[in-house]
Amino acid sequence: MTLEGVLGPNTVIDDAEGLKVEAPQALCVVDGSRLLISSGNAVLAISRWGDQPQPWCVFDQPVTALSASPAGTVGIGLADGSFSVRDRAGSVLAGWGRPESLASVTDCLFVSEDEIALVDSGYRAGEDILSRAPWDETGRGQVVMINRNGAMRRLAAGLHCPMGLARDADGELIVSLLERAAIVDLAGKVRQPGFPAYLGRVRATESGYLLSCLSRRDPLIEFLKTEAEFVAEMKATIDPRHWISPRAHPEFSHDFPIELGATRLFGEIKPWAPSFSYGLVIATDTAFIPTGSAHSRANGARHAISDTVEWNGDVIAVSRASGEVLRFSFAREAA
Amino acid sequence: MSVDFKFASLRKQPVPRFMLSPRRILADVLSSGWVESMIPFLAFICVVVGVAVTTQDYFVASNLRNLAQYSADGGLIVLAMLIVVAVGGIDLSVGSNFAMSAFVALFCFHILQLPVPVVLVASLGCGAVIGATNGLLAGLIGCGALLTTLATMITVRGIFTLSSQAQMVEISTSARIDDLWDWIGFEKILTMPIGFWVLLAVAILIFVMFRQSAFGWHVLAVGGNRKAARHGGIRVKVTVFLSYVLTGLIVGLSGFLFAARQNSISADTGIGMEFFVLTALVVGLGGFVPGRGAVVPVLIGFATIYIFNNAMINSGFRGDFVQLCMGAIIILILAIDVKFRKNRHRLLASTYLDPVKVTLAPTRGMAGLMPHEIAPKLALARILGAGQLDGPEDVILDRDGNLYCGNRDGRILKLSGPDHSDISVVAKIGGRPLGLAFDPEGRMVACVAGMGLLRVTLDGAVELLTDQTGRSLLSVQDDTSIRMADDLDIAPDGTIYFTDATKRYDIDNWGLDLLEGRPNGRLLSYDPRTRKTRTVCDNLVFPNGVCITHDGKYLLVASTWSCSILIFDLADLAAGPRIFLDGLPGYPDNINRSSDGGYWIALAGMRNAILDQAMKYPGLRQRMTKRVPPTNWLFGNLNIGGVLKIDGSGRIVDALWDAPDGPLYMITSMREHEGALYLGGVTNDKIGRLQLAYADRQWTSQQSYWGKG
Repeated sequence: MTLEGVLGPNTVIDDAEGLKVEAPQALCVVDGSRLLISSGNAVLAISRWGDQPQPWCVFDQPVTALSASPAGTVGIGLADGSFSVRDRAGSVLAGWGRPESLASVTDCLFVSEDEIALVDSGYRAGEDILSRAPWDETGRGQVVMINRNGAMRRLAAGLHCPMGLARDADGELIVSLLERAAIVDLAGKVRQPGFPAYLGRVRATESGYLLSCLSRRDPLIEFLKTEAEFVAEMKATIDPRHWISPRAHPEFSHDFPIELGATRLFGEIKPWAPSFSYGLVIATDTAFIPTGSAHSRANGARHAISDTVEWNGDVIAVSRASGEVLRFSFAREAA
Repeated sequence: MSVDFKFASLRKQPVPRFMLSPRRILADVLSSGWVESMIPFLAFICVVVGVAVTTQDYFVASNLRNLAQYSADGGLIVLAMLIVVAVGGIDLSVGSNFAMSAFVALFCFHILQLPVPVVLVASLGCGAVIGATNGLLAGLIGCGALLTTLATMITVRGIFTLSSQAQMVEISTSARIDDLWDWIGFEKILTMPIGFWVLLAVAILIFVMFRQSAFGWHVLAVGGNRKAARHGGIRVKVTVFLSYVLTGLIVGLSGFLFAARQNSISADTGIGMEFFVLTALVVGLGGFVPGRGAVVPVLIGFATIYIFNNAMINSGFRGDFVQLCMGAIIILILAIDVKFRKNRHRLLASTYLDPVKVTLAPTRGMAGLMPHEIAPKLALARILGAGQLDGPEDVILDRDGNLYCGNRDGRILKLSGPDHSDISVVAKIGGRPLGLAFDPEGRMVACVAGMGLLRVTLDGAVELLTDQTGRSLLSVQDDTSIRMADDLDIAPDGTIYFTDATKRYDIDNWGLDLLEGRPNGRLLSYDPRTRKTRTVCDNLVFPNGVCITHDGKYLLVASTWSCSILIFDLADLAAGPRIFLDGLPGYPDNINRSSDGGYWIALAGMRNAILDQAMKYPGLRQRMTKRVPPTNWLFGNLNIGGVLKIDGSGRIVDALWDAPDGPLYMITSMREHEGALYLGGVTNDKIGRLQLAYADRQWTSQQSYWGKG
């Protein structure tokens, strides 16, 4: 897939309404009406777009994942790989198992009112997964199931940078892989490969799925994967912050490499310029065929879309780069 | 702040005398003009070798003389056809014209008994009239060349047949003998027949015409692109007309030579000649190519066809079999040639970039001065001319405080002082003005990419000072033209020192020079008194900014991709450069004097660890340019630059940066003037003006160079 056709460029994300939130990461909708937004160590709540976000709960770690069950139970993944379950008022629900030996919780999903599946990317908080993922062949990610009675079982292991979790039309769990740009099931079978972006979370909708994309794929990075000696030296001698890699922020910095087409003219980056950061949400049908897309291009600021949900008929997305929660809708391809 | 340095104690910068790289040699050969004729030439060699192997004594002197004797008229007609094809036309009437001119020559000689010179004039006149008829119809009136010359071919053939049948007996029974006539027909000079020398002379004249004469250029321009030629002010119709006349004249000359040699004509004289000639032309040119006046390849094509045809007939093959073989071999040659031409540019593109391992000195002398360590001082700069400028690579101020810069569209602009809000055009140059300097007389000297070194007076007069230097002895590619004149400075004796940043890339592709990493540039000098241009030092790595030191004894040259500043001793330029400063944090562009005895260095972009590492992997860069779209090539970070302040000894004492997303992101030039620093950028549309807290408010560059004036 390339960024053409229904994935062709637009300015939907740049034109979207935005709500400034400090360090947003994850979203979920509780009871079909209330939107929870993670903001650093806190979770904020709004009942209507335009309302001021109200504190819902505060943790001692950055919140990295949110999920709500149909009954209104909320699962919260934290940066240190720990996990918490709260009721809709934010009170702790006791009895849920505590996951062990998880590097992080990047997403979670209630399979039933008594079970929740957690995704562990294999990268600890503080390790820049975007910098490292293209240059790491080891599949360290896993999916585990936590039971209300305290039991924990591993559903899948050896996944390469799993980021998101959803259920397909048959109720089977599917996982989005960041660097492999693919949707797989728990057996590792590829449901849809070749997305033109580094995938974040995947969310089931009534008509298919919403894929949050942390950046778009880049031909230079793909090429450098074939240059083993160069990559080995880069990993050995250069700070990961300065590696060639997808990025969350479209910032200018004197010590970042750029691509030839990304040179500023008259001070501006052209929208069609190559960039290591990008904002993209892809809507697909139930077979993961794209039906629509929303972009924040090279000259935009709303990059690194980490989570997307449907809420009150709109698409709500998180831009990690701009620190905003965005509201938009996009016209999908006629079925 | 002026601090002395000891030139002799500085490290020497090694400069290679030449570059030996098989890839570069291949690329240079492929980019040469003469490689276009390689396949026809190889075909010629194959034919010659084939004939030499299969035919005994074919290339003995007597047979060669014989071949030369009979080849002249065909060769001349091929050249005639070349002219008309070069102008974008075709002449099918050359065979008929040839026969008619020969008839006119014989008629005038035998029947009218005219002197030989008059016979020559008559024969030429006949050819010219037929050519003029073609020119009138095809050129001036605008009838199609193919139909026009087809009609002329048939008509002239008819006239020839009627006339020759009426006079043939009288001509063949004429007893007139003339020494000059026989001399032309049979005499030899230096063992070769007269016709051969005439062919040679005409070939040289046409070669010179296409290379050196306005008419020849006009012919090629019209053939290359008729519309563009018309827009360029060329009288297209007249040029086409004259081309046909010239073609007719040469055909007339050929007919005259034929008549003098054969002393007879027959009904089939010149029949099929147009196809023979077109075949030779197509083989030589590798197709039917208007706008190309390639005399030598066309003659090679002619020789190939002529020798092959002649050798087969001499060997006793049947005429139809010879034709079959000719057709097959021509198709083969053309197929190979077309394939070669089609892929030549692809091959050239894949070999032209010739990266080399480059290990840069680590950044030093910047402790506490890097962009993330200090406040962005350029954020305080006032912006001038925003949106009204396009790429002010260099900025300069005159004694009155008026600001000047070059523009991408080839104009030199003036931002009138003191507020610099009024912008006017000083001169229209046409190229891409880069470095600027004022000479002692207050005239501006400009480096113009693609043009050379120009002088501009402030009333708008433009004068080309130089656009060529001496050719490197050990280079396949002709490097006499100054490809990317970048920056200059003027020594106290008036000599202008300037850089030709890269000999291998144009202004639009200058970034490729970074990926290549080879020393492709040179330092040149121009002496206004002798008007001579000299290569001071060849094989420098992207020599960019040039600055004469405050004492006028040394020359600083920025080596952009080396992140270093070189220094030359003006009293001993042959000793080569030494390293004044290296390990810069970015890519230095222009260098200029500061009021405190130091220098300002513009940084067009910043180094980063990834690119520094990639520079050590030439194979990676080579593969990248083949497998990755150009827009995604790893490149130097030109989105952030700044200005370094160094003292007279080369120690970095300050650094000026803009905010990371600020408007003064890429600085290619800066000038201090009366306490303010003016900043230009080659990809920017504005100029910055920063008030300097610690500068001498009386100091100007003009005074520093040329005194109070």
